[in-house]
Amino acid sequence: MAAPVSIAHTHVHSLRVASGAEALVARVLATDGTAGFGFTLNLDAGAARDMAAWDALGRSRAVPLYGLLGGAYRKTVKALQDDHPAIAADWTALRKDILAGRHQILCIDPFAWGSVEMVQTIAAVAGAFDLSIALLAPNAHPWEIQYCAALAATLKGEDTKIIVRSIPARSSVPVSEEQGMGIGWSSEPSFSKIQWQS
Amino acid sequence: MVHAGSMYVIQKTERTVVELELDNGITGLGETWGTPDAYMLAQRFARQWLGKDALDRIALRELFGKTSYDNRFGRNGLATHAGLDLAAWDATARSLKMSLAELVGARRRESIDVVSTLPAAILPRAVTRKELTDHLDVLANTRLVVEFALQQVRKSGFRSFKLKSAAYSPEWDWKLLNELHEAMPKARIRFDPNANYGAATATELCRRLDTLGLEFFEDPTGELEGIARLKAAVKTPVATNMWVVKDEHLVPAIRRRAVDVVLGDLFMWGGIDAWRRMARVAHAYGLKPALHSVYETGIATVANLHLASALREVEYANDSGLHFLSSDVLAEPQEVKEGAMRLPAGAGLGVTIDRAKLDKLTLETTEIRA
Repeated sequence: MAAPVSIAHTHVHSLRVASGAEALVARVLATDGTAGFGFTLNLDAGAARDMAAWDALGRSRAVPLYGLLGGAYRKTVKALQDDHPAIAADWTALRKDILAGRHQILCIDPFAWGSVEMVQTIAAVAGAFDLSIALLAPNAHPWEIQYCAALAATLKGEDTKIIVRSIPARSSVPVSEEQGMGIGWSSEPSFSKIQWQS
Repeated sequence: MVHAGSMYVIQKTERTVVELELDNGITGLGETWGTPDAYMLAQRFARQWLGKDALDRIALRELFGKTSYDNRFGRNGLATHAGLDLAAWDATARSLKMSLAELVGARRRESIDVVSTLPAAILPRAVTRKELTDHLDVLANTRLVVEFALQQVRKSGFRSFKLKSAAYSPEWDWKLLNELHEAMPKARIRFDPNANYGAATATELCRRLDTLGLEFFEDPTGELEGIARLKAAVKTPVATNMWVVKDEHLVPAIRRRAVDVVLGDLFMWGGIDAWRRMARVAHAYGLKPALHSVYETGIATVANLHLASALREVEYANDSGLHFLSSDVLAEPQEVKEGAMRLPAGAGLGVTIDRAKLDKLTLETTEIRA
């Protein structure tokens, strides 16, 4: 499920972030004129566009992501340093492994799984099988952490958390009450320099 | 119409209608069971909701209880919560200027096939169990049910039917289902004895019925284990709305390969978020989620249409009993045409209360304000 928003235009832009990594940044223009933004550092434009569509819908309705997805299980999300390997984005294999009891915790890179809907589906299955969910911010970029927090707010499970490979600056991340994804784009100065196509 | 099945013979239904007003003046509609317990709980839960944020239905659900252990009110509690929850979803969707289907996921379909229930027997009035069984002893009476089904085809173009069984006479059910199949060879027919046949009888009957190509056997017998054994013995899909009715039932059903279809009832599952999660989990493991319903007003009937439209996991026609009710509470008549109902246009559910109709039907009303 992409966000249920009527899209007029989409533009994906390649951006060099301060760390030197390349990010894809997407802008979705809804038919009501609202712009939404998404990004990924794994260079899969689909994930960025999906995020941008949800961001556009949230902004056009003036609600945070959780307001579009049914509500929030938490207002802050635990953030931990952890080396737990992320599960490969192979839904067939993951379903079998869950059924076989091969996981206690599902460490999911939401950018690798590509969409808000997919993360919600994995979380529903995790809930049914009483498994914990950890969302990996693979590069510990502030945008990644904020996206993970917006998603984690909507996922059932007491142990739901964000994990990063490096030591986090803080042990919990607040869920943004800002419209859409609530991502602070200004943390990357180059974002404001993008020349978006009209 | 008199509803005759294995659980009850009834001629009327009672429901609790919920109107939830937000600070912004927008009102959401919901409904739930009409039992005294549900009506009392609706008032209790509504008091807890005053001042809370309707945008955050998960927080409202957690007021009721985070786990099944916290739920001290059993099925009544879940069903009552679902009624208020529906009103909160409707109010939120109206506030966001989205249809309920869009807020749940997407508005994928405008027309949803619905199922016409067929009573186990056609009776002039609600009768005693003894009178019912006397009627069923006369196998020639099956023709009345066939005639009733054909009336539904002529009147509303139904393509899907659910035969309720009194679970009294396998011979009656065998004969009647064969006659229905012969009279409507293209119709999709479900068979629902509500788990009132014993496992051995049900399995024997369902094996005989396998040749008819029915859509599914719905709760042909009781408990997950019995239904799983039956499923292993037949080719026709097996559905349940009785043995997989809450989160904790799903994984055992998946592991046991107990059913093919989870015929989930919005009220038994405790609301839209729980139903949506069930649909995702069921579908992930090859089970098909479908929408169960009894005799609900247009409010819940339309809610089920939105769910079916929103969730790609739903393939089967929706249960519906609205067309059998002599009156409804909505201003916009919800009609069945060519076996389907259309999603109303507009935000939220897209329907409004007809105050005069509601007043005429109301037995009791309670207003709860801060």
